[in-house]
Amino acid sequence: MSTTTLVGVPDSMTSGLITPLLGISITPGLHLQWHILGLTINADIVWATLIAGAIVIALGLTLRAKATSGVPGKFQLLWELAVGAIQTQVDDSIGPRGANVVPLALTLFIFIFTCNLFEVLSIGSPIDFLPAPTSDINLPLAMALYVIVLVHRAAIKNRGVKGYFAHYANQPFTAESTLAKIPLTFANVFMNGIEELVKPVTLTLRLFGNLFAGGLMLSLLAALVIWKLGPVPIGGILSVPFTLMWKVFDMAIGAIQAFIFALLTILYFDTAMAQGEAH
Amino acid sequence: MADANMASAVKTAGGLIGAGLALGGGAVGASIGDGLAGSQTIAGVARNPEAQGRLTTLMFLTVGLCEAAYFINLVFAALFIFSLGK
Repeated sequence: MSTTTLVGVPDSMTSGLITPLLGISITPGLHLQWHILGLTINADIVWATLIAGAIVIALGLTLRAKATSGVPGKFQLLWELAVGAIQTQVDDSIGPRGANVVPLALTLFIFIFTCNLFEVLSIGSPIDFLPAPTSDINLPLAMALYVIVLVHRAAIKNRGVKGYFAHYANQPFTAESTLAKIPLTFANVFMNGIEELVKPVTLTLRLFGNLFAGGLMLSLLAALVIWKLGPVPIGGILSVPFTLMWKVFDMAIGAIQAFIFALLTILYFDTAMAQGEAH
Repeated sequence: MADANMASAVKTAGGLIGAGLALGGGAVGASIGDGLAGSQTIAGVARNPEAQGRLTTLMFLTVGLCEAAYFINLVFAALFIFSLGK
């Protein structure tokens, strides 16, 4: 915020306790950028994503080398916990038909969780060299679009092309007479269209918003350091414990959001694979 | 010159008011949602203490979904403050 916004404010109001706080300037959304063929690529997000992917692959390969049918170690137990949680959700909602969804949902969960944990390394500077990849909108958007495309593919596979379109035209309003069907079809297509468009948008923004807010909060806490009461650096004293508390809270948020992303993936597949509808 | 200053001031004011409305409204909605989830979880546990484990998981899930709506608002508030309000 530039100082011109303070024009017209009486001096008595700006010379109070919080005067230094008005000078805080935070610039979220800055990234190291490559410009290739007219495209702008956020370089730090690209390499953070690659590192997160490498970590997930390394975890998987380590498990494969260590896996045993005997007494499992701690590492294997952790994996079995994650796989078990996803498997339970799939079994509860889709049933045995959804066996193909388990690997996708599990990969999304582990990968997003790893990405979210990168935020612990962040110190709230404008450009971090290893930011959480999910705190940039491009990665959540890419994952959400990937999921949605697969969901629609599963829906077409399940219902056939004709049934796929009929599903959007004949629900939720139904009527007996042909004359009443015409306006209801328009209403159905409109409502279902909005629902389908909103799905990828909310899936993206939910994850991105949480991680972006986490980074913003870290920047605010770091900026608090300039707050002084006379000789007492009160901002610096407050900043350290609050940052620690926020990071612990943020790890919990990251785990919950990763699980919600995987869970919503499963639920979208559930609606796409639902059977027993009359067409 | 004065007009340009005025326009910039109106823009900043509009951005900040919009961000405040988005944050305030989002916080109200998310808090109500969190409260409902928590109260119903407590009611459920009081009724059937054995279900506590399953209910707690579901509660955190619901809380995560409610909070997510607020965090989406927070992104839009940041957009208003840092982009539109400049």
